[in-house]
Amino acid sequence: MQTTVAGSYPKIPNRPRPARLRQAIARRDRGEITPEELARAEDEVTIEVIQEQLEAGLDLIADGQVRWDDDQTHIARGLEGFEIGGLVRYFDTNTYYRQPAVSGPIGWPGPFLVRDYEFAAAHSAKPVKAMLTGPYTLAALSTDSHYGDRRRLVLDLAQALHQEALALAAAGAPFIQVNEPAIVHNKDDAPLLHEAITRMLDGVGTRTALHTWFADAAGMLPLLNDLPVDVIGLDFVWGPANWDALKAGPFTKDLGFGIVDARNTRMETADEIAAQIRRVAELVPAERLYVNPSCGLEYLPREVAFEKLKRMVEGVRRAEAVAV
Amino acid sequence: MSAALVTTAVGSYPKPDYLARARSQFSQGKLHREELEKLERQATEFWIRSQERLGLDVLVHGEMERGDMVAYFAGEPGGRTIEGMKLGGLVRSYGNRYYHKPVIFAKLGWPGPMTVEMWRYAQSLTDRPVKGMLTGPYTMVEWSFDEHYPSRRDAVLDMAKVIRREVEELVKAGARYVQIDEPAIHTRPRQDFDLAIEAMERVVEGIDCEFHTHICYGEVELIYPDMLRLPVKQIHLAFKNTNFEYLKLLEEHPFDSDKDLGVGVVDVHTHLMEPVAEVKDGIRRTLALLPPERVWILPDCGLKTRTVEEAEGKLRVMMDATREIKRELELD
Repeated sequence: MQTTVAGSYPKIPNRPRPARLRQAIARRDRGEITPEELARAEDEVTIEVIQEQLEAGLDLIADGQVRWDDDQTHIARGLEGFEIGGLVRYFDTNTYYRQPAVSGPIGWPGPFLVRDYEFAAAHSAKPVKAMLTGPYTLAALSTDSHYGDRRRLVLDLAQALHQEALALAAAGAPFIQVNEPAIVHNKDDAPLLHEAITRMLDGVGTRTALHTWFADAAGMLPLLNDLPVDVIGLDFVWGPANWDALKAGPFTKDLGFGIVDARNTRMETADEIAAQIRRVAELVPAERLYVNPSCGLEYLPREVAFEKLKRMVEGVRRAEAVAV
Repeated sequence: MSAALVTTAVGSYPKPDYLARARSQFSQGKLHREELEKLERQATEFWIRSQERLGLDVLVHGEMERGDMVAYFAGEPGGRTIEGMKLGGLVRSYGNRYYHKPVIFAKLGWPGPMTVEMWRYAQSLTDRPVKGMLTGPYTMVEWSFDEHYPSRRDAVLDMAKVIRREVEELVKAGARYVQIDEPAIHTRPRQDFDLAIEAMERVVEGIDCEFHTHICYGEVELIYPDMLRLPVKQIHLAFKNTNFEYLKLLEEHPFDSDKDLGVGVVDVHTHLMEPVAEVKDGIRRTLALLPPERVWILPDCGLKTRTVEEAEGKLRVMMDATREIKRELELD
């Protein structure tokens, strides 16, 4: 069993620890520091959140998406063809993002995540996975005044992200995670997702995962089984019907088992987590399990997120102890 | 017959600099509560006088004592805290904006009057009615973490009891209008809309008072015409922000004939001052669908993010436009 995160890590800690990134961004906005100085602060905070993940005991680390405003605009700004629009709600959270607006043909001007992957890998004692928002979700959460055809937009995005994935693989990334939360909210589009992910990950050669959250994948597991990825991440907290879907099986992939609630501060106990792991291990063998929070951790205060990760790791330890 | 094109405001006004400074000193323990309350009252009086001068019909007290519409009831410094709530750690809402997200950590309970004293003070300053101002049970829960209740439904219905108790106190104190804001109501329209309505029913049922509710931005089209089931006399919406596109919804499905519509006619999120002609145009378009007796005129939302001058400027434009329309249509 491997432990990991499902996405973002909270950017700032609470008092008495200093909110360095928040202060640096505010100072940049006021023109008091240069973009280079802000980039340095982002690097420092990235190291800090990698350290926290290592300290919590995770096996597979992410860079925490410290430099990302949100899952959409960071990718949109890296590609050609996007403008950035007004604030909209991210699914049913109380978190908002600026909605990307497709206004021209999508293009890939060159790697925009590789340097960040290399930086994270150089500062982590454990393997680092690279994180990308997938073409389907990116299209679903953007407006489009250029293509007027969802499929063509999704496939062009897949082509651009394919280039980025190849660049990440060439830089040595052992694992690429593609986040596609929108697909479990629009299940009818699974065939389009399949076409896009196949194009995006063709010949990439790393281990790959596709993660979903905030809803269940009931009814579409056979389609997810067909995707050319190694791991499927499902949210069992906000999508409890995933239990029945998994039971109905077959499930042939490794499972990203999202079981710690990353949207609520209520603390699961290590024993509760261990019990859930034993339960899922009856459906998916333990050696095919990645245990992770239900979604990115940015909906929680930093200290709560850290404590939840520690308990998650302890829960895995207890589940393994019983299994032996 | 009721009055035509009654003017009011949504809730919050900007805090004068001296009050913003005092609030920050208070939260650092450098200022006594009595001092803070004195300044809150001074600022409240400023806004009551300002609204009187501008000619609004139904006033708001301006929420000088509140930082955030949920956190005020959940442990923010200087606030009034519902039993079972506290402030949690910082969570990002977007960009570089963070807020202390409230936490429900135990059974919710009414801690005694939370808003009555300030309402009574504001009402004592003026002959015009001042609205009681509360946050609705669904929004209170939706914008908080919940570590206590087994389901959102349990939490929302317990929160409804707390809010109802506060409404009873406001009405006992003499409030004729109570506004209960539910800006989070369209978060999960398919799953939760019935719950939000049931909670509102429990808050208002059998209480003799005119209830209004404010629903902010977000996907209003997902909850219209469902929102007409809300047991309130008036629903107000941010029309100006979407250039009155909501009127299309009303064309497709007429607004409830028992309800009044509150029409937001100035955008609160821009420094730009709308020309009077533009505001008049919005009012006229609304009047093509509803009689003036059932239309109230207000800003899109609370004005607290504007400067004092901008807020007064927007209210002035709103009042000038309303007066001109009334004159042109020979209303009252």
